[in-house]
Amino acid sequence: MKRKSQLFTRLKKSKFFVIGFIISILLIILSIIAPFIVIHDPELPDLDNTLNPPEYFSKGWSGNILGADNLGRDILTRLLIGSRYSFIIAGTAVISAIFLGIIIGLYAGYYGGWIDNLFMRLADIQLSLPSLLLAIAIVAALGPSIPNLIIVLIVTKWPVIARLVRGNVLIIRETEFVSASRVLGASDTWIMFSQILPNILTVIMVVATQLVGHMILIEAVLSFLGLGVQPPIPSWGIMIADGRNYLILAPWIVMAPGIALMITVIAFNFLGDGLRDALDPKMKT
Amino acid sequence: MNKRYKYIINRILWGFVVLWGVSLISFGILHLAPGDPARLLLPATATWEEINNLREILGLNKPLHIQYLVYIRGVIKGDLGTSLFYKKPNLDLIKERLPATLILSIAAILTAILISIPLGLIAGVKQGTFIDVLVMFFAILGQSMSIVWFAIFLVFVFSVKLRLLPSFGYGSFRTLILPTVALAFEQSALITRLTRTGMIDVLSEDYILAIRAKGIKESKVVTRYAFKNVLITVTTIIGLTFAGLMGGQLACETIFVWPGIGSLSISAISQRDFPLVQSIMLVVSAFFVLINLAVDILYTFLDPRLRYD
Repeated sequence: MKRKSQLFTRLKKSKFFVIGFIISILLIILSIIAPFIVIHDPELPDLDNTLNPPEYFSKGWSGNILGADNLGRDILTRLLIGSRYSFIIAGTAVISAIFLGIIIGLYAGYYGGWIDNLFMRLADIQLSLPSLLLAIAIVAALGPSIPNLIIVLIVTKWPVIARLVRGNVLIIRETEFVSASRVLGASDTWIMFSQILPNILTVIMVVATQLVGHMILIEAVLSFLGLGVQPPIPSWGIMIADGRNYLILAPWIVMAPGIALMITVIAFNFLGDGLRDALDPKMKT
Repeated sequence: MNKRYKYIINRILWGFVVLWGVSLISFGILHLAPGDPARLLLPATATWEEINNLREILGLNKPLHIQYLVYIRGVIKGDLGTSLFYKKPNLDLIKERLPATLILSIAAILTAILISIPLGLIAGVKQGTFIDVLVMFFAILGQSMSIVWFAIFLVFVFSVKLRLLPSFGYGSFRTLILPTVALAFEQSALITRLTRTGMIDVLSEDYILAIRAKGIKESKVVTRYAFKNVLITVTTIIGLTFAGLMGGQLACETIFVWPGIGSLSISAISQRDFPLVQSIMLVVSAFFVLINLAVDILYTFLDPRLRYD
C-alpha cells in the first residue's frame, strides 16, 4: 500500500507525466465521443464547401472550424473521426503485441532451452531487418486493409516486448522468492504469472506508451503511402496524402492532421517518459 | 585474438541465416497472397491458356520446396527475376535507382550525425541546464513528429512560401537539401537522446571521478576520456540509424519524387508487381545485413570489454 501511494506522489510531481496524462486522456475521450458530437459527415463530399479555409468560430460550431478539404469535407470532423481509427488500430496492435510478447518472453525466459533459442533467434532475425521492410512484405502479400495493418504493427513490435520480458524473467527467475515458491511446490505456470509477471508490469507499461506513439506514426506513414487504411476513411495519414496536392491552395488540409499527430504522439511520449522517471529514473528504455 | 575471429565468423554465419530468413519471406509473399500465383502475375485480361502457360514456365506446378530451390538458385546466379510492370530485369531496375537512394541516405545520416552528436554531448555534459532542456525539447519534437508531415511542412515553408528551394526533383544539390533535412531530423532526435544518455552514463562512472580527483582539467576530462567511450554508443547508433531511416526514406522519396528504391517499392506494391517487390526486399535486406555485420566487427575493435558471446 505504501509503495502505491509513493508512486502516485512521484507521478504527480513529474510534469511530463501530468501533461502527457491529461492530454492523452482528453484525446481518448474525444475520440470516443467523436461520433456523437460531430456535425458534418466525415466521408460524404459536400461540394458547397470545397476548399473552405478555416472559419474558426465565425459561424459558431456549425461552420468549417478548421476548414474543408477538396471534397468539402470538414477537417475537424475528419480529424476527430480519424483519431478513433488511430487509437483503435494502435491500441489493438499494442495490446496484442504486448500479450504475444509477454507469453513468448515468459516461456522463453523461464524454460530456456530450445524454446528460448527458437524465439530469440526469430526475434533477432526480425530485428535485423528494418520493420518497414517487413511491413511492406506483408502488405504486398495480403493487401492493404485495417486488419492487415494491425497484423503488420504486431509483427514488427512483438520482438521488442518479448526480448524485454525475457531479459527480466531471466533476472527474476534466480531470485530467492521464486526459488522459495518452487520449493514450496508452486507450479511453473503459477510462478510465471503470479510472481514474475507483476514485477515486470511497470517496465512493460513504460514501453507500451512509447509503442503507442510509434504505432500511430507508423500507421500514418503507411496510410499516407497507400499501404494502410484506405480512403474514404479519414485516417490522419490519408488526410495528409490528400492534402498534399492542395498545399498551395489549402494548406490547412495538411497542417491540421500533422499537428494533431504531433500533439498526440508528444502526449504519449510524455506519458511514457514521466512514467519511467517516476517508476525508476535509472531504467534504460 | 582467436576469440575475436570466432565471433566475427559467427556473425557472418548469422548474417547468412538472416538472409535465408528473408529469402523465405520474399519467396513466400507471392504464395501467401490470396489467389492463384500465376493469375496474380498476369494482367486481369489474361486467358486460361496464358495462365496455364505461365504456370508451366515458372514451374508453379512443382512442389513448393522445389520452387524455392529454383528461386534461390536464380538469386545466387544473379537473376532476380523480371518486373511485371516495367518488363525489365529487376536487378537492372534496382541498380538504376540505387544511387539516388544511397545519396539521400548518406547525406541524411551524415547531417544527422554531424548535428546530433555534438548536441547530445553538450546536453549530456550540461545536464539539467537550459541548454539541456532546449536540446531535449528538440529531440522530443523530432521523435514525435510524423516525418510525412514534416517533409510537407518543409516544402510548404521553403518552396511554397519562401520560394527558396525546389519541392521535388533530382540531380542538383538544391534538390537534395529538403529531403535530407526531413530525413535527418527524424534520426537526429534519436541520436541526440542516445548520445546524451551515453555521455551522462559515462560521466557518472567511477573512473571519471578518479580522473577529476587527479586534477585534470574538465575540458580534457570530457574530450579525451569521456568521448572515447561514447564512441562505442555512437557506433551502435549509426547501425541503428540505417535501419531506422528506411521508413522515412520511403516517405521522403515519395514526397520529393526522389527516384530511389523507396519510391520504386511503393509503386511496385500498388501495381502488384510481385517479382520486383521480392527483389527489392532481398537487396535491401542484404544491404542491412552487411551494415550490421560491419558495425558488429567494428565493435570488436572498439570495445575491449566485449565478451564475444
